Amino acid sequence: MSLETLKAKDLALGQEFLTWIWFRSERSNGQWQTQDGVPFGLTFEGRVMVQSGEGDYLETAVCSGPGAELHEAKSGLLRGKKVHQAKLRMEEDGHGWHVTIKAEDFSTAGFKTPKVEFRLEEGQDPDGPFLEKMYLLERALLFFDQMFLQFLKLRFSPQWADELRAIRRWVDATAGSLP
Amino acid sequence: MPDDVGDDVLSNVQLRLKRFAFVDIDQSMEERSFGWVCFDDLLDAEWTTAGPEKGPYLAFSLRLDTRRIPPAVFKKHWMIALRQRMAQLAGEGKKFLSKDQKTELRDQVRQRLLMRSLPIPAVFDVVWSPRDNRVYLATTNTKIRTLFEELFAQTFETELEALTPVILGVELLGEAAEGRLTGFEGSLFVPTREVAADVAVPAAENPLGSGESAS
Repeated sequence: MSLETLKAKDLALGQEFLTWIWFRSERSNGQWQTQDGVPFGLTFEGRVMVQSGEGDYLETAVCSGPGAELHEAKSGLLRGKKVHQAKLRMEEDGHGWHVTIKAEDFSTAGFKTPKVEFRLEEGQDPDGPFLEKMYLLERALLFFDQMFLQFLKLRFSPQWADELRAIRRWVDATAGSLP
Repeated sequence: MPDDVGDDVLSNVQLRLKRFAFVDIDQSMEERSFGWVCFDDLLDAEWTTAGPEKGPYLAFSLRLDTRRIPPAVFKKHWMIALRQRMAQLAGEGKKFLSKDQKTELRDQVRQRLLMRSLPIPAVFDVVWSPRDNRVYLATTNTKIRTLFEELFAQTFETELEALTPVILGVELLGEAAEGRLTGFEGSLFVPTREVAADVAVPAAENPLGSGESAS
C-alpha cells in the first residue's frame, strides 16, 4: 500500500473515531470503562475542528467555547464533516488530564497530566517525579487505546449498523436544536 | 514504536548514546549540531549526571543547536559589503562584479556573521519504554521528528514506526485485522433526510467515498 493511501486510511479512521467518541461521550454523560471495568471520564472540552473534503474542496471549521456544546461544529457534522482535531478532558478519581488529539496521526499537543511535584523531598528517589509523570501520561494513553479498541471492535461488528443509525439521530437532533 | 531490538542493544544504551552524543559548537563556526544529551542536564553529553535508565524506562534528550542569521541582518551587512566592494572597484576604474564574485562576497558576509552569532539550543525529550515497545518524543514538529527518527535508527539500529490510527489498530486487534484497517472506508454520519435533500452536493464534499449508504 502506498504511503499516500495509508495516510488517507489513517485520516478516515482517525476522523471517524474522534467523531464517534464525541457522540459516545454525550450519550454516556462522559462515563467510560476500560475492558477490565475500570471507570474513567472523557468529554470534549472547549475546542474542536471539523473537516470535510480534500484538496481544493477541503473545508474546515474551528469552533471553541466554554462548554462541550460546540453548536457550530455540530452543524458541520450535519454537512458531512467529521472531527479532525479535538481537545479532550479525561478524568479518573478526581484527577484530570487535558490533551488535544489530531485525527490523521493521533499526535498529541498540550498534554497536561494531573500536577506532579518536581521539588524533591529529603530521601526521595530523584527519579520519583519522572516516574509519576510517566505513570500519569501512560494512564491517559491507556484510556485512549481502550476507547480506540472499543471503537474498532464495534466498527467491524454487525452492531455497527445500529450504532450508525444512533449517530445519525444524534447528529440530526443536536444540529436540529441549534439556536 | 521500534522494530524488535535485541538485549545486546538494550544493555548498551548508554554506550550507543555516547557514540552519537551532542557535540558543542559554541567555539566553532558550524551552523548546526545535534545529538543525544542526558535527560536531566542538557549540558551533559557524557551521562555523568545520571544514566538513561529510569525505572522501566530509558530517558534521554535530543539536543539541536542552530546558528541563525536573521534575514534583515544579513541583508543589511550584504548591502554594506557590496557598497564597500563597489567603491573599491570604482577606485580601480572598474564598474561590475561578476556573478561568481558576488557569490563569494555573499559567502564571506555569511561566514563573518555566523562567527558573531551564538548557537540557539533546543532540547526534545525522549522516553523509550521497552516493556511495551513504545518511544515517546516530546514534539510534533515534522523536521525534528525526521531528524530524531534518523538518529534513533543510526544509534540503535532499528526503525521506528509512528503509531498512526491504522498502525495502532493493527497493534490492538492483531495482524489478522490489517486487511480491514488498510481497506477502511468511512461511514456516512449525515442523517438520512439530509442526504435525500442534498443530492446536488458534489462528490468531493463527501470525503467518505464509497462508505455505507445512508439508507
